[in-house]
Amino acid sequence: MTFPPALDIHLVQLTPAITLLVTAFATLLFALWQKDSRQTAAIALLGVVTAFGFNLSLFLSSGEPTSSFGLRFLTDTPALAFNFLILVGTALAILVSYDQLRRMDLDHPEYYPLMLLSALGATVMAAAGDLVTLILGLEIMSLAIYVLSAWRTRSRQSEEAGMKYFLLGSFGSAILIYGAALVYGSAGSFVYGDIVATLGAGGALVATLGGALVLAGLAFKAALVPFHQWAPDVYTGAPTTVTTFMSVVIKAAAFAGILRLVATVFPQLQPWLLTAFAVTVAATLVIGNLAALQQRGVKRMLAYSAVAHAGYVGLAVLAAGEQGMQAAVWYLSAYTLMNVGAFAVLSLVVDAGDSGDSLDHFAGLGSRRPWLALAMTFFLLSLGGIPPLAGFAGKVMVFEAAISAGYLWLAVVGILTSVVALVYYFRVIGAMYFRRPEHDLPAFASNATTIAIAITLAGTVALGLLPGWWHDLLGVAAAALP
Amino acid sequence: MTAAGMLVIPLLGAVLTGFAGERRRLVAGLAVLSTLGAFVLSLFLPGARAVDLPWLPGLGVGFSLDPNGAASVLVVVTALVMLPTALIASLKVEEHPGRFVALLLIAQAGLNGIFMARDLILFYVFWEATLIPGLLLLGMFGLEKRRAAVVKYLAYAVTGSFLMLVSILALKVLSGASSFHVTDLMLAAPLLDAATQTWLFVGLAAGMAVKLPIWPLHSWLVDLNDQNHPSGAADVLGTLYKVGGFGFFAWALPLLPAGAERVAPVLLVLGAFTALYGALIATAQTSFKRLLAYGSISHMGLVAVGLFGMHIAGLNGAIYLLAAQMLSTGALFLIAGMLYERRGTFDLGSFGGLAKSAPALAALTLFVIFAFIGVPGLGNFPGEFLSLLGTFQTAPWLAAGATLTVIAAGVLGVNLYQKLFQGPQAAPVRDADSLEAYVLVPFVAGILWLGLAPAPQLQRIEAQSQLVVLQQERASVPALDAYGDEVAAVTDPSSSGERR
Repeated sequence: MTFPPALDIHLVQLTPAITLLVTAFATLLFALWQKDSRQTAAIALLGVVTAFGFNLSLFLSSGEPTSSFGLRFLTDTPALAFNFLILVGTALAILVSYDQLRRMDLDHPEYYPLMLLSALGATVMAAAGDLVTLILGLEIMSLAIYVLSAWRTRSRQSEEAGMKYFLLGSFGSAILIYGAALVYGSAGSFVYGDIVATLGAGGALVATLGGALVLAGLAFKAALVPFHQWAPDVYTGAPTTVTTFMSVVIKAAAFAGILRLVATVFPQLQPWLLTAFAVTVAATLVIGNLAALQQRGVKRMLAYSAVAHAGYVGLAVLAAGEQGMQAAVWYLSAYTLMNVGAFAVLSLVVDAGDSGDSLDHFAGLGSRRPWLALAMTFFLLSLGGIPPLAGFAGKVMVFEAAISAGYLWLAVVGILTSVVALVYYFRVIGAMYFRRPEHDLPAFASNATTIAIAITLAGTVALGLLPGWWHDLLGVAAAALP
Repeated sequence: MTAAGMLVIPLLGAVLTGFAGERRRLVAGLAVLSTLGAFVLSLFLPGARAVDLPWLPGLGVGFSLDPNGAASVLVVVTALVMLPTALIASLKVEEHPGRFVALLLIAQAGLNGIFMARDLILFYVFWEATLIPGLLLLGMFGLEKRRAAVVKYLAYAVTGSFLMLVSILALKVLSGASSFHVTDLMLAAPLLDAATQTWLFVGLAAGMAVKLPIWPLHSWLVDLNDQNHPSGAADVLGTLYKVGGFGFFAWALPLLPAGAERVAPVLLVLGAFTALYGALIATAQTSFKRLLAYGSISHMGLVAVGLFGMHIAGLNGAIYLLAAQMLSTGALFLIAGMLYERRGTFDLGSFGGLAKSAPALAALTLFVIFAFIGVPGLGNFPGEFLSLLGTFQTAPWLAAGATLTVIAAGVLGVNLYQKLFQGPQAAPVRDADSLEAYVLVPFVAGILWLGLAPAPQLQRIEAQSQLVVLQQERASVPALDAYGDEVAAVTDPSSSGERR
C-alpha cells in the first residue's frame, strides 16, 4: 500500500458530495427556526439540483484526475452515472414529500437533512474505490435511513420498520465489515486496484470467503433474496415518502457497490462466488415476483416488486465486464423513474395515516381521476416491461447482457417470472378501469407531487421511445470502468 | 415517410379522440378522419421508401420499417376494416366512446408496425404493445364475465410473447448477427446448428402460435369474443390481431429453416386439426359470437396448413387468407352487433325469419357469409385454395384432411343463415339503416376486390414467400452458403445484396 507523494485530493471531483453535505447542514440549521418544512425542502431541492449540475459538468468534461485519496474515491464515469440516479431519486423524493409531510403529520425539521445525508452516503458508495470508503458510505447512508423509516412516531408499524431495519441492517454491515477484514487479511489492502494486483487469478479461499461476505452485506442493502426479508416490512411500515426514496436511492447505491466489485475484484476470486450470485439472482426473481402476486395491498405489492427488480438488475451485474454496466445503470434509471412515479401516485391515493392502499381503493380511479390513473397505468406497464416504455428497453438490455455473458437459463427464469409480474401489475390497472369506485379518495392535491409524477411519466415514456442516447453515453462510461 | 405516416396518423387520431372524450359527434368525426386518412395513405404504400433509423444502436436495434411485400397488403386491408369499425364504435358505444376509438386507433398503429417492422426487436415492440389496447377494450367495455376473459387473454398472450422475446434476444447473441435488422439476421441465423434452431424456433412459436391461434392455444380468443362489447367493434380488433401467422411467415420460418423443418410438421398437423375442429365445434354453438370465434379459428387452421406445408403456393395462400378473413369475419362480428342491437341477445335460437322484415340486411349478411365460407369469386377463396393446393404438394394426406373443412364450413354458413333469417319469423325487426349499410359497404367492396383481382396482392406476398423457400434450400446445404447474396437481395432491396 503506497500513498502518492503529493496530496491526492481533487476538490473539483468532490463537488457533488460536498454540495450534498453542505446543504444537509444548512437545512439542519435553517430548520431550527423555520418551522415550515416546505422552505427547508426548497433549499434541499436547490442543493440537490446544484449537485446535479456539478455532476453533469464532471460527466461532460473529460476531467483528467478521476480519483482522489489514492484511488479510494473514484469519480470516473460509472460513479458519475450512479450519482445521476441518486440525485434524481433524491430530488423526486423531496418533491413527493413536499406537501405530504404536513398532511401526514410527519413535519419534523430533521427530515430533509437526514434524506440528504443518506443521499451523500449513497454517492460515497458509488464513488468507493476501496472497501473502507464503501463501508463509510454505507453507514452514512444507512444510519440516516434507519431513522427515516421510523419517522411516523406513534405508529407501531413504522417503529417496527425502523427497528427491524436497524437491527438487520447492523447485522448486514457487520457481515460486510468482517468480509472486508478477510479480504484485507488475504490481499493486504483495501483498495480494489491493489487487491486485484496482489491476488492472482483463481484467488485464495480466504479472500473469496471475504468477497462472499462483502457481497452478502451489499445484497442486504439491495434486497436480494435471501437477504430481502426486511424489505417488504420496512417498505410498508415506513411513510410512503420515505419508501419512495428508499426503493430507488438505496438500491442504486448498493448496486453501485456490487457492480464495481463484480467488475474488478471478483474475477480474481474463486469462480463459485459468481455462481452463488447467479443463484441468488434467480431466487430473487422467483421469490420477489411470486410473493408480490400474493399481496392485496398495493404498497406491499410494490415492495415485493422492488425486490424482484433487484433481480433484473442483478442479471445485468453478472455480465459486468461486457454490456452489463450499461444495462444495469440503464435499467436502474428506468426503474428510478417508473418506481418513484408509482409510489408518487400511491401517495395521493392513501390516506393521511398511510393506510388505504388496497386494490379496492384503486377501484374506479380511471373515472375519478383519469389523468392520475393514466399515469399509473404507464408506470405499471413500464414496470411490467411492456413496450414502448422504459421498462421494456431496460429489460431488453438486461436480458441481452445476461445471454451474452452465458446466463441464458437466468434470462429464461427472468422472463417467466416477468409473466407473473405483469399479472400483478395489471391487477391494479384492472381495478382502476374495470371496476366502479368503492371508496372516497382523500381530498388532497399537491402541485409538487404532480410535478414529480409529470417528470417521471415524461421520463418513462421518453426513455422508452428514445433509449439510444443514454445507452450510448453509458457506453462511454462502461469503457472507462477499470 | 409513408410508412411512418401509417403509425403517426392513427396515433394522432387516438390522442385527439382521447381528448374529445364524451363529445360523440366530435369523436365520430375524428374517427372517420383518421381512419380515412390512414386508408388513403395506405394506398400509396406499395413502392414507398423504407425507413431505417438508429434506435438503440448499442444493441443493434434500429427503427426499420419496410412497407413493401406482404406488409402492403395487410396494412391496406387493416385500414379498410378500421374505417367502418371506428365509425360504428364511436356511435354505438354508450359510455366513453372517445376512449374506445382511441384504443382502436392505437391498436391500428400497432398492427401496422407489426406488419411493416424490419427489425426483430421493433417487431416485438409492436407485437406486445398492441396487446394492451385489446385488453383494455375487453376490460373496460366487456360484458359480465370479462375479468376472467382478461386474465386468460393476458396469461396466454404474455407467456407466449415473453418466451418469444428470450428467443429473439438469444437469436442474435448465438448467431453472432451484428444487429436485429432483418438482413443481418436472415444471413446469420440459418447457419446455427439444427438443435439450437429448433429450440429458438419453439420459443418463437410459443408467442406466435398463441396469436395464430392454433389448437390447443386458441381458447382465449373464444372468451375474448364472447365477452367483448356487444357492438362487435372490439371483436374486429381481435380478428385483426391474429397476427401469429404473419409472424411465422415473415420471421420464424425464414430465420430458422432447420428448426422449421423439424417443428413445422407438428404445427402442420395441429393446423389441419384446428381447421376441422374449429368448423365442427362452430356448428354446435348456440351463441352467434362463439360460432364466429370458432369459425375464424377454423380459418386460422387453414392459414397454418398453408404456412407449414412450406410450399410457395401455400405460403402465398396463407397470408392472402389472413388478409381476406379480416374482412369477412370482421363484417360478421359487426353484423352480430347490429342484430344484438335489435334483439338484445347473441342466442341463435331467438332469431329466425328476419329476412322478411329486414331483406337488405339479410342480403348483405348472406354475401358476407358466402365470403366467410370461401365461395369462389369472394375474398377468402383464393387464399383457402392456394393454402390447400400448396400443402397438397408436400403433405397430401394432411391437406386432404384439411380440405374437409371446406365442406364443414359450407354446412356452417348455410345453417347460420337459416337460423338467422329463414324459418318462422320470431318478431319483425327494422331493416338496415343508412349507417349500417354504409358500414358494410367497405367490407363488401374489399371482399369483391380480394376475390376478383388477387394477382397483384399475391405478387407482393410472393417476394417474401420466396425467402422462406430460399432459406429452406440454403439450410439443406449448410456448408456451401451460396444463397447469401440472394437472401440479402430479397430482404433488403435497397442495398442490392450488400450487407448493411
